[in-house]
Amino acid sequence: MAVGVKVVARPGSLKQQMYLPAIAEGMGVTFRHFIKNFVGNVTGNRDKTDIVTIEYPEQKKKYPERFRGLHRLMLRDDGQVRCVACMMCPTVCPAHCITIVPEETADGRIEKRPKLFEIDELRCVVCGLCAEACPCDAIRMDTGEHAKPTYRRADAVLDKEELMSRGIKSVAVQGGVGAFWREKPEVANTGQVQSANGSRSGADTVPAQIVPEGPPAGPVVAAK
Amino acid sequence: MAESPVPGSAPAPAADTVTVTVDGHAHTFPKGTNLLEACNQVGANVPFFCYHAGLSSPAVCRQCLVDVKGQPKPVPSCYTPVADKMEVTTNSAKVLDIRRQMLEFTLLNHPIDCPICDKAGECTLQKHYFDWDGKFSRNDGIKVHKDKVVDIGKHIVLDQERCILCTRCIRVCDEVAKSPDLVMANRGDHEVLTTAPGRSLDNPYSLNTVDVCPVGALTSKDFRFAMRAWELVATPSVCPGCATGCNIEVHASRDTVYRLVPRINPAVNKHWMCDEGRFTYKTVRQSRVVAPISGGQAVEWDRALDDAAAGLKAVLDRSPLGVGVVLSAQSTNEDLHALARLAFDHLGVQKAYVAGKDEGWHDDILVSADKNPNTAGAKAIGGGRLRSLADLSRDLKAGSLVALLVLGEEGVLGADPATMPLDKLDTLVVLACHHNDLVDAAKVVLPLTAWAESDGTFTNKLGMVQRIRAALAPAGDSLPGWEALSHLARRLGATMEFTTAKQVFIEARDKHPFMRGADWGRPILPVQLRFANSRG
Amino acid sequence: MHMWETIKGSFEYGHPGFTGLSALIKIVYLMLAFGPGLASILTWMERRQSSLMQDRLGPNRANIGRFKAWGITHFLADALKFMVKEDFVPVKAHKFLFALAPVLALAPALIVAAIIPFGAPLCWGHLTEIVPTGTCGQAVDLQIARLDVGILFYFAISSLSVYGATLAGWSSYNKWAMMGGLRASSQMMSYEVTMGMAVLSMFLIYGTLEPGAMVAQQGYWPWQWGIWGIPTALSFFLFLTAAIAETKRTPFDIPEGEPEIIGYFVEYSGLRFGMFFLGEFIEIVFSSALMVTIFLGGWHLPFLDGLADRVPNIAFVLITHGAWIVKVFLFTGFQLLIRWSLPRFRSDQLMQLGWQRLLPVSIANVLITAGWILYSR
Ligand code: SF4
Ligand code: SF4
Ligand code: SF4
Ligand code: SF4
Ligand code: SF4
Ligand code: SF4
Repeated sequence: MAVGVKVVARPGSLKQQMYLPAIAEGMGVTFRHFIKNFVGNVTGNRDKTDIVTIEYPEQKKKYPERFRGLHRLMLRDDGQVRCVACMMCPTVCPAHCITIVPEETADGRIEKRPKLFEIDELRCVVCGLCAEACPCDAIRMDTGEHAKPTYRRADAVLDKEELMSRGIKSVAVQGGVGAFWREKPEVANTGQVQSANGSRSGADTVPAQIVPEGPPAGPVVAAK
Repeated sequence: MAESPVPGSAPAPAADTVTVTVDGHAHTFPKGTNLLEACNQVGANVPFFCYHAGLSSPAVCRQCLVDVKGQPKPVPSCYTPVADKMEVTTNSAKVLDIRRQMLEFTLLNHPIDCPICDKAGECTLQKHYFDWDGKFSRNDGIKVHKDKVVDIGKHIVLDQERCILCTRCIRVCDEVAKSPDLVMANRGDHEVLTTAPGRSLDNPYSLNTVDVCPVGALTSKDFRFAMRAWELVATPSVCPGCATGCNIEVHASRDTVYRLVPRINPAVNKHWMCDEGRFTYKTVRQSRVVAPISGGQAVEWDRALDDAAAGLKAVLDRSPLGVGVVLSAQSTNEDLHALARLAFDHLGVQKAYVAGKDEGWHDDILVSADKNPNTAGAKAIGGGRLRSLADLSRDLKAGSLVALLVLGEEGVLGADPATMPLDKLDTLVVLACHHNDLVDAAKVVLPLTAWAESDGTFTNKLGMVQRIRAALAPAGDSLPGWEALSHLARRLGATMEFTTAKQVFIEARDKHPFMRGADWGRPILPVQLRFANSRG
Repeated sequence: MHMWETIKGSFEYGHPGFTGLSALIKIVYLMLAFGPGLASILTWMERRQSSLMQDRLGPNRANIGRFKAWGITHFLADALKFMVKEDFVPVKAHKFLFALAPVLALAPALIVAAIIPFGAPLCWGHLTEIVPTGTCGQAVDLQIARLDVGILFYFAISSLSVYGATLAGWSSYNKWAMMGGLRASSQMMSYEVTMGMAVLSMFLIYGTLEPGAMVAQQGYWPWQWGIWGIPTALSFFLFLTAAIAETKRTPFDIPEGEPEIIGYFVEYSGLRFGMFFLGEFIEIVFSSALMVTIFLGGWHLPFLDGLADRVPNIAFVLITHGAWIVKVFLFTGFQLLIRWSLPRFRSDQLMQLGWQRLLPVSIANVLITAGWILYSR
């Protein structure tokens, strides 16, 4: 089988093709900046306005509203875990970092729930597919927090209690659009998949700490 | 698992065929073929819930309605035999509409528990919904609620809400298990499946109801919540539970078996298997010998093989008459052939015995009294030399045996270990899968793969040579018997250059008449059930 | 007493004890103090210089109490970090080769320093006197080994470091590491050819491979240095390109290629990674030193011709050594400038450049040089 090779003619003059003039030019640019900033640093009057560094942790960048942070498990009205151990999230997780062991409950209302729910934040690639896959609004990544650095690997594996400690009550109807959807006349059955009263990013479900404040003015918001 | 053609639907002589036009194309079918099967054989894809190729047709789900020219109303195709010159339409707007409406009826009160329903991913209702309906519910009112999590038998939990009243489970009990344990109660919206008065679903074939249930109404307590169906990988194999040799699929995920389900074989088990057989997977990883043992110490393979060979050689050099071998009715034909070739052809061993599990209960449905999967193979490969365990006991007591090479630890000691004075032996080499008293007494133990980790063949009581396939990676350092024996043979000066089970199979097939005509089959790539469609 | 005299005698100039001791001092100084020392500072300088080039702040936080010095102690913090980090070894890695690889990467980088002259010769016994060039009877070369094979030794040793990269890639039991190792070996072997050709033309000009002799042939005045002249400037360019490719730095960092494969040391952490890291910078230091030696007049201090006739020998030696250090330092800075200005080549472009461009040019260069020499004689 012949592999098709497409030879693309390089445009430009010999000068462009040699790269060397362009390289010299580029190095000239970087060198000029170097000299300017070096001299500025040495003499102590470097022009601060063009410095792009964000001096974390004194300065922090404002995260976009849809920033995917540390996971959390949402709660039912009675404070129990909302997750029904449906295994959608471990199924979809490309990093295999979610471990769930389901259990049956004696409670007549809930048939299945996670006995063990662990997320290995070291393995997580923060793709957000788990939150996307969850049919119950049980797992979210909207905490706005980073996974914390730890001294031991085991500490980066978050267990159910830890994940629930960040959780809040979800206002989505448990089980999604149920038999009663017409009780909410404002929600039309458009035939599109959406939850009846609380789509994923609806304002009433977003926790207080990351309420969007419009697009940040500049890249840097200086801390007090 | 695809629905197989009903037995008897194979091409028959021209006189017994009828010509039927399905969606405008004429096809020929044998007389008496059921119209649903006929349509689906030619790719018309007519959906159904209550029909099952292994059961009678009650035509209760009305999902398989098709138009037959000349009939005033659509007919349930599962209930209609083909007739000559029949003209069937399965895809007209009217048929599709009826199909959708029937689905809507079925789904009217369905709880849609899919996230927590064990059937999700292999659910016929889900599949039909996505294939034929895909609409939001128009149900305004409150759904009828029924009992969930009803314990109806030793192995089974019923969810009455999810039941779509197809009666397949009732028919399995009535027609297969011959034990009418289940009935329908009440009417209309409130109709429910329940156990017959004074009975519970405890027949030896009860778990077949879970397989046939097109939805998640019946779930196996054993499998319940253990693993999502779509994560499982199916490996076709054969049940090791008894001499019937039911064809099964081993459903495993990440090196753990989660369940065994029957695989259709009209000549052996049809669509079914017994409950006992389903649980044979439980022991696969229990108390396994995971490393070679020599002198009570876990050692490397090389060391164990050297010790075993040295022990056997010391006796063989004096006289091959002092050496005996034990064949196991639990081993594959390949392992047995390798042992036979080593012992009888190369070493000149004369004394051979056969061991295996004790006999147990049986019925005339599937279960055999012989609880070993390969008694027929062991007997045929051992041939006339084979003697019983009683003879082994006698020889041991008489002291005429100095060395013993045992393939498979199962049942060698019998019910009373005192009858087997193993301490009289100089050398006891055991190729074993699980720990037991025999393994503890052995001088050298070589770890064997379990049936679910092995490629090979079993011969069932009908003399059929059936293929088993490895669904798991070998536990620990264990090796298949033929491979361990090949290594041992090399150290005993014999040449047995087997590198694959298939080579052993081919050699055994050429040698043993009972295996003639047997087929190794094609290699099967592991396929996750999520890519294998609904099993309902 | 007699014994003492014998021992003392063997440490007099010209005796084995003296030779051995002076060599040891030079080895300790150059290979254990100067090379790794400058390399460590380079690890900080690289980040600092790049930040200045890119209008950033760069590493400026590390400090020892109030001693901050623009964050120069970042390299100490890094060293500390490498030491206390988890030493991770993949389960299926080949343990011995995995441990050997960083050593194989670091050692050749150090050993090549043996041939580099780093100052004018000392005149033993006349340190405080004025010793005009060439009149010293008891000269001690500031060069660890004066080998006639000189530059060839450099090649022989520096090609060994390909084992470090390849073995690291192979023993890690990681496909990315494996790929990185393969890339490293193919790249280093390809560019060695060009490098050799570039040196060959310099050999034609100098008529020697011994670096000390090369330096001696270059004068004090910058226009007397090896770099001037059409063929030698080309050689310099070729050598520099190949040397950067040998050190596997941008734009030739394909074996590492952070966004794609991480490279042969992907499984390394802690001190072992630190060894790779340091080895890379030591390579920069000594390849710079070699280029300074061949092309930039070695330890010759420009504009101060006849200095040897005016200051005491020890002062002259220290001044020339200082000149050498400054040249090497500036040259490493130049290498950093290149590294932070040019984007990475693609793997096929790299091979194309090596075999289809640089190699023909370098062969032509050898021919031109030969012709030039023939003509100018
Ligand atoms: S964010 Fe992605 S990688 Fe992380 S747990 Fe969720 S699915 Fe897995
Ligand atoms: S997808 Fe949601 S409900 Fe399902 S297991 Fe994950 S968190 Fe629980
Ligand atoms: S039976 Fe099928 S449709 Fe019903 S809840 Fe279970 S998976 Fe869903
Ligand atoms: S339990 Fe299942 S098999 Fe039985 S009637 Fe209901 S749906 Fe059919
Ligand atoms: S009848 Fe025998 S072979 Fe069949 S499933 Fe039961 S135990 Fe297994
Ligand atoms: S892992 Fe992804 S986000 Fe993180 S540095 Fe690499 S490329 Fe960037």
